Amino acid sequence: MATERELSDFLRSVEKRAFKRSAYHVRDEEAALDIVQDSMMKLAEHYGDKPVAELPMLFQRILSNCTLDWFRRQKTRNALFSSMGEFESDLSEGSDFDLLETFLPGDLSNRVESAEDEVRRAQTLREIEVEILQLPPRQREAFMMRYWEEMDVAETAAAMGCSEGSVKTHCSRAVQALSKALKAKGLEL
Amino acid sequence: MSYINTFRGTAGAGSGEAGQAQDRFGRRIAIRLEQGSQELPHDISERLRAARVRAISQRKREAGVAMALPQLAAAGIGQQFGQGPGLWSRLASGLPVLVLAAGLVCIQALEADRRANEVAEVDAALLADDLPPEAYADAGFVQFLKSDR
Repeated sequence: MATERELSDFLRSVEKRAFKRSAYHVRDEEAALDIVQDSMMKLAEHYGDKPVAELPMLFQRILSNCTLDWFRRQKTRNALFSSMGEFESDLSEGSDFDLLETFLPGDLSNRVESAEDEVRRAQTLREIEVEILQLPPRQREAFMMRYWEEMDVAETAAAMGCSEGSVKTHCSRAVQALSKALKAKGLEL
Repeated sequence: MSYINTFRGTAGAGSGEAGQAQDRFGRRIAIRLEQGSQELPHDISERLRAARVRAISQRKREAGVAMALPQLAAAGIGQQFGQGPGLWSRLASGLPVLVLAAGLVCIQALEADRRANEVAEVDAALLADDLPPEAYADAGFVQFLKSDR
């Protein structure tokens, strides 16, 4: 059973990644914060007594479900207020919305690295994030879980509710798309 | 290094050299993303911290409620009978009401008994006491004696 300290440490270790992943999905900073907060609450309320080893998988599932719930709510809201442009949510892959316009890295002035390296690194990250936003949602989710959350194929499949073959296909296509796009921009990792 | 050529035609394949190259590339991207996630604006970091603290406090409150549940549910006796702890929780929540009702019935019975005893004592005292001679001249008292027998 996870102690309060262990649960807190776990949440601290995943909260920023969870926020970024949600932001990539919903493309709304406030919504991403709400989703992460809801996920944390649900994990603590319902699974706070589970062993620490089970928390990562549980949290990924909760986060995915909360994100799906947000999309469903948006869909309902859009159906109700279809004439109100500010409520529209474009979930297609080719959205022109640029998350980075409102989501730039924080203060860059206190770094020890050179200004040139700093700018280059920020630029690379920005390009990567732009390309990640272009990925289809399922590919992006599989890629994020597999490589950023460091889950294996079976865990990713369980969290996404699909087969392991689908996870491999999603990841492979995501990697191909990213590598092609980044190479076209002349970026080397 | 040309990732495109390496990955081409490997969709669905997660093993072999191409799979390893794919994993390496994925991890490099993840490292960049991780670096970016550590540079979140201060207000977002603070809101995430506040959300975490709130979630932890919620867990404590839930744990407190769980401790208040009856020992039967905690011991898993509900599962023994093929019923979930939810049923036992509901039954247990009704238990204090049942105890209260039983207590009220007992108090009422005891009170009725006490009153009967008091009336009996008064009657016994009256009957055992010496009657004044005037009592036998009272028509009501005579009637009472007749009706009582």
